[in-house]
Amino acid sequence: MNRLYLFATLAGTRIAVETDEVEAVVKLTEISPVPGMGAHVAGLSALRSRVLTIIDTAALIQGMASPTRDAGLAIIANIAGHSYGLMVDSVSDICRVPEGELPLRGQLDRAWAPYGRAIVEQDGHPWLLVSLASFIDGGGQAQAA
Amino acid sequence: MAMDELLQEFISETQETLEALAGEVVAWEADPSDRDRLDAIFRFFHTVKGSCGFLNLPRFERLSHAAEDVLADIRAGKRGADPATVSAVLGLMDRIGELTEAVAMGAALPNENDDYLIAALNAPVDQPAPQVQAAPVAVARQAGQAGPRTIRLPLSLIDQLMNGVSDMVLARNELSRKLRERSADPELDNVFERLSTCVADMRDVISKTRMQRVERLFAAIPRMVRDLGRDLGKRIDLTLEGGDVEMDREMVEMVVDPLTHIVRNAIDHGIESPEQRRAVGKPEAGALRVEARQSGNQIVITISDDGAGIDTARLVDKAISAGRLTPEAAARMTEADKLDLIFHAGLSTADQVTSISGRGVGMDVVRANVERIGGVIALDNHPGQGLCITLRVPLTLTIIPGLVVRAGGLHFAIPRAAVVEILHDNNAMLQISCIGGAQIATIRGVRHSMIELEDVLGMDRPAQAGPRAIMVVRSGSGVPYAMGVAAVDNHEELVIRPASPLIMATGVYAGMTLPDNGKPMLLLDAAGIASAAQLPTILDDQAARRTEEQADAQAGVEMVAALRFEEMTGEKRLLKLALIDRVEDIDVGLFGRSGDQAYVRLDGRLIPVVNGLSQFDRAKVSALRLRDGTQEACYPVAAVLDIVQMPLVPDMVAMQGILSGVAVIEGEHLEVINPFALFASLSGYDSVEGQGGRCLLADAEDGWTREILAPLLRQAGHDVVLGLPEDGVIDPRDVLLCHDGEGSKVAGIMAEMTGCRVVQLRASPRAAGPHDASIYRYDQDALMAAITAGQG
Repeated sequence: MNRLYLFATLAGTRIAVETDEVEAVVKLTEISPVPGMGAHVAGLSALRSRVLTIIDTAALIQGMASPTRDAGLAIIANIAGHSYGLMVDSVSDICRVPEGELPLRGQLDRAWAPYGRAIVEQDGHPWLLVSLASFIDGGGQAQAA
Repeated sequence: MAMDELLQEFISETQETLEALAGEVVAWEADPSDRDRLDAIFRFFHTVKGSCGFLNLPRFERLSHAAEDVLADIRAGKRGADPATVSAVLGLMDRIGELTEAVAMGAALPNENDDYLIAALNAPVDQPAPQVQAAPVAVARQAGQAGPRTIRLPLSLIDQLMNGVSDMVLARNELSRKLRERSADPELDNVFERLSTCVADMRDVISKTRMQRVERLFAAIPRMVRDLGRDLGKRIDLTLEGGDVEMDREMVEMVVDPLTHIVRNAIDHGIESPEQRRAVGKPEAGALRVEARQSGNQIVITISDDGAGIDTARLVDKAISAGRLTPEAAARMTEADKLDLIFHAGLSTADQVTSISGRGVGMDVVRANVERIGGVIALDNHPGQGLCITLRVPLTLTIIPGLVVRAGGLHFAIPRAAVVEILHDNNAMLQISCIGGAQIATIRGVRHSMIELEDVLGMDRPAQAGPRAIMVVRSGSGVPYAMGVAAVDNHEELVIRPASPLIMATGVYAGMTLPDNGKPMLLLDAAGIASAAQLPTILDDQAARRTEEQADAQAGVEMVAALRFEEMTGEKRLLKLALIDRVEDIDVGLFGRSGDQAYVRLDGRLIPVVNGLSQFDRAKVSALRLRDGTQEACYPVAAVLDIVQMPLVPDMVAMQGILSGVAVIEGEHLEVINPFALFASLSGYDSVEGQGGRCLLADAEDGWTREILAPLLRQAGHDVVLGLPEDGVIDPRDVLLCHDGEGSKVAGIMAEMTGCRVVQLRASPRAAGPHDASIYRYDQDALMAAITAGQG
């Protein structure tokens, strides 16, 4: 398995995302808020002629809205026919990891449990492999709460 | 070509052909002599069989092989196309469809036994035949020329194209701005114009790729009608028209379900069984017609049947027994209101809940779905004869006329179709009251639930300088409510896209749009907001409002021409112009007296002088020559002033002597002459008494009856009795006068028993309806006519 992974930090944690899921990484400009929704939906943002639903991914983990939303980085993904931008703290690298993903070890924090599914080792560190779609589904649950 | 692609190709083609083919099979059943159709169906199975071998799909192969054999026999004339065989062929097609679906999704193939299906093809008819042989559905074959050459494309490619073109338009706009900022260069401008034109043309063409023929909407109907008809033992004559009308692809998706439900309802509840139809003289086969046509920027789809129509009385009963409606409210409802009940969730007039149409929860969902895409649904009901349902949907889902509103510092869009009216909160016609946290907006006397948009969406309401805008919008139940926003900024054509499921899940947003300023804007769902705010749905206020409005509109503004004149005694008075024949200056010498009646000699006759004057201090006197049809009279006056419009009924009614009351003309209070009393006061007046009939006034305790009606009738020479005669004897020539209410019931009984006539009086100028035979109590002409009608 010689998959390509995107390495980033989210809510202070090292995460990895399979590049198949990633369409692009962009710097967010303006976000128009969507009232009546939980903190995890930062709002809507226009990317050329497309409208992205911006997810405050850190809010999903930490339970409260991120302080600075604009001018941050977001991973653009198309999930179930809709375009989303998932905010991240920073993006470091894209590279291949020969041994692929490894099973989780240790007990994941409850906040991360719905999203982390495996570990990828790179640069001497473990990175939590997440699936972007899980943030959308998990977001739905957070809203129901 | 890789195996994968071949398989994909096979799947797409099979699915597409299956869709069209179901209709063909049903049509062929109606006309088995149609070789072309039979050949087409045969070819389908033949092709599937061929591909299967290559693609290694044994189940497909087996199924299609069996069908192919049967069809070959039919082609060769060795077999007939009886309903059982056709059903079996359709069953095979269904199975192939299921398997294709499974392969398309990469799922495991369903595990059912194909043998049963195949055996059904060849089985003798040992299943009990349906009670009524449902006649095959006759579908008019649309004369189509060979279709244009087409190519199959993945939808994602089309969407990418659209996005690309939109990007191009935005880039072009930006270029235009930049060019304008720099100095004008005609050569550059020309080239840019060319580019602009190309971009615009491209955009138009790409938009067309979204259009789809309505035929796709109709494709599944013939089969459904056939199957349903057989299951229910009903015969249906189906006509489909307008398949070549084009609609936005997404619109087609959204209309399929409502249309299906309506057609099902028509067959299940609308069209009667053949026996029932025969009993009422209708042809045994019910007529069901589905037609699509384009009307401006709308597509109009009508579904009409000649069935039993909707029984509104039963709807009302169901609503009352479900506790949704009080009997009083029901009594006030118009026919249209009652018909509207069918859109309220949970009401079903179906005697038994059939598994087909379900529990009557359909029509509310149908309407909601139609309205969600900006459409409307209307019913044209003819009880006993049939029902016609009309759906009007916009030509394209994506572009709708909308309003841009501001609330909580943000901009939102709302479909214009959802907004009934807009007022400012400082408008005199609007009153806002608050009780227990609930807000009520009363607009022209009608009460609406009211919410502030900021509250529903959880936003702050910053203070603002000007008045707020209050929009009256439609909720899901059709009952409008008031929504307060900071301001309504603009109206424009908005390109709407669906918002992500996360956002749609809130229920208050119907989509989003990207205006030119590049800031995404949310589209509000008026119905969803009403639900989120948990506004009550009130069914019966509509009728109350309507009677109110009607009364308001017609309450006493009827005017009549009148002459304003000055009496000898100085008062200014009014007299209805219609009574005045002419105005003359008469020589005072012609006046005279005889006994206590003053006369004037005119035209060789002696004409009574109404106000008793015969002595004047001048040589000539102005006089009004009056005529009431038979009688003539002369009314000397000091001066004739002018002709004005006065209310038919005096502003203040005060019957006294020859006056009927006071009217206000241009701020002046003027007494109004009562022409009736005027003529009645002449001793020469032919009273109509003596023929025996008395006037019995039933409402003896009523002030008006005693003070006004009784004197009036007496003056006219009638024998008036207040209340019913003590000796209880009533002559058939008597006339019983009464107002509505208790008295009228008694009166009715008396009339029955004694054969006397009843004259019903009413207080309102307007009749309650075409069958209201009562007389307005101040309509003296009608009153007198009614009393004298039977006498002599």
